[in-house]
Amino acid sequence: MSTPRSQRSRAGTVAANTVGVLFVIVMAFPVYWVLNTAFKPASEVLSFTPSFWPENPTLDNFRSAIKAPFFLVDLRNGLIITTTAVAGAIVVGFLAALAIARFRFYGRRALIMVVLGVQLVPLLALLIPLYLMLNRANLTNSLVGVSITYLVLILPYTVWTLRGFIAAVPRELDEAALVDGCSRWQTFYRIILPLTGPGLVATSIYGFIQAWNEFIIINTLNNPETQNLMAWLLQNQTNRGTAWGPLMAGALITSLPVVVFFLAIQRNIAVGLTAGAVKG
Amino acid sequence: MHAVDSPATAPPAPAPSAPSTPDRHRARRRRRPQWTPLILAIPTLVLLAGLLAYPLGRMLVLSFQDMQLRHLFSGATPPWVGFDNYKDILTDGVFWSVVARTAIFTVVSVTISIVLGLGVALLMQRVSSGVRIAMVITMMFVWAIPQLVSAQIFKWMVDADFGVLNYMIDQIPGVDFANHSWFADPTQGWIVITTLVVWAGIPFLAITLHAGLTQVPQDLREAALVDGASSWQTLRNIILPVLRPLIVIVTTLSVIWNFGLFTQVWALRDSKPEQEYQTLATYAFTQAFGRNEYSLGSAISVITVILMLGVMAFYVKQMFQIGEVD
Repeated sequence: MSTPRSQRSRAGTVAANTVGVLFVIVMAFPVYWVLNTAFKPASEVLSFTPSFWPENPTLDNFRSAIKAPFFLVDLRNGLIITTTAVAGAIVVGFLAALAIARFRFYGRRALIMVVLGVQLVPLLALLIPLYLMLNRANLTNSLVGVSITYLVLILPYTVWTLRGFIAAVPRELDEAALVDGCSRWQTFYRIILPLTGPGLVATSIYGFIQAWNEFIIINTLNNPETQNLMAWLLQNQTNRGTAWGPLMAGALITSLPVVVFFLAIQRNIAVGLTAGAVKG
Repeated sequence: MHAVDSPATAPPAPAPSAPSTPDRHRARRRRRPQWTPLILAIPTLVLLAGLLAYPLGRMLVLSFQDMQLRHLFSGATPPWVGFDNYKDILTDGVFWSVVARTAIFTVVSVTISIVLGLGVALLMQRVSSGVRIAMVITMMFVWAIPQLVSAQIFKWMVDADFGVLNYMIDQIPGVDFANHSWFADPTQGWIVITTLVVWAGIPFLAITLHAGLTQVPQDLREAALVDGASSWQTLRNIILPVLRPLIVIVTTLSVIWNFGLFTQVWALRDSKPEQEYQTLATYAFTQAFGRNEYSLGSAISVITVILMLGVMAFYVKQMFQIGEVD
């Protein structure tokens, strides 16, 4: 009885593995194709018979992407905007998360509702009034306007995620510290803050990814010299015809921070996704 | 862009030491008007009100006005036009074709994504660990690529003259795909867009559902096996019921995301999608910023929000239930 089943199962595993490998090849192909293109010289990129391997690998595409108008400016802009937005969202969001996680107060439910509810407003729908608002405040074409917008963009999610991390710190620790004569501030500073450190890092990285990937708002609000790399990728394509090699090199550079951060946090992803959901 | 876009929307596991009943009692007894939490929440509330609530109200107002470019520069209040914008939109055949297209795309792409995602999740359980690791790593890379970048990659692959896709199809004997334009025929164009959306969406779905599958009690499966259940019966009667809440959530999220499709179309159609490629999101954007019809764009946005509310109400309920746990 057990032998046939294990044999059947072994054949099944071979079949499953074959399908699995095919899946990997199909899924990975587009990623491979960017890499392949980014390292090809221009003549190879524009050959009617695509080569599946760069025969004369070169860094020319990266050089010309970096030298392209606004590339470095937009790279720097993106870093400034993203860092400002994430730092701001973490500070502001942590305070609100602390309120939700550690206090039972009148209006707590309403606050939770607001934080969850605003996430559901399609951002694109708000683009028109945002544009009019920032335009009147003279904040279009500035890094400040976009930074604030991105801050608010990642804020609800920051509050919600940090709330979870703070709630995971046992209350008994707070209470013990209070009993030992710590003030509220000291309790926060010595107990909650250090224990939520990893959570702050994880939350910042998610926020960074969100803000780094955004381009519709900045593309609408700002000129090329005050945009980010995402918007650059889009403009690059429409304004100068398509130079595929440099574009793919630029795309690689643009996604690099995200890929690195993403791989750094990948362990937490599945856990975060299913917590509560399956049991709920 | 939204928090729900994020891989970690769901909060981390609730602490095992969530306040027990006696704790709550104590907290309740010493409750008095507490200012600290309100002060802590003020910066967040101010920012949300200023950059989300106010624009939302402004959008609503705008949809009942007729804002032109000159109002934008002069700062004058645009004339009130009542429901004219809505009347214009709702009686416009083009608008309804956009709605229909967006809805069809959403249903098709979400169905394909969920079925494939579940299939991949089940496959991950069946393969050897080496293959599984390769699958996870590949999906992580695909997942991490920004939407705009993956759209550019697909644009390059389906390029009429130098695209690798035409080249590969051309290799099939008797098929001539040289210089084939994938976007000349909207059906083919939408196949490309759907493939891109499904390709980029599978990692989130497969990894989430796989994580959910690991929660299916092993003894239930073994019991089913002993009772002689076929794999199909096991899937139908044991695995799917356990996965149900998770499938509901990921389906809802996928509907929200795909219904708001913008980036992929925008990039693949060179920032100026033709009539046959407009979705609700690109249509509102094109009306507002392409033709400076801010009021018309606002009205379309308002209608879009209302259309999405049905789906969202469901999602809010789910999220709120999760949020109430601790």
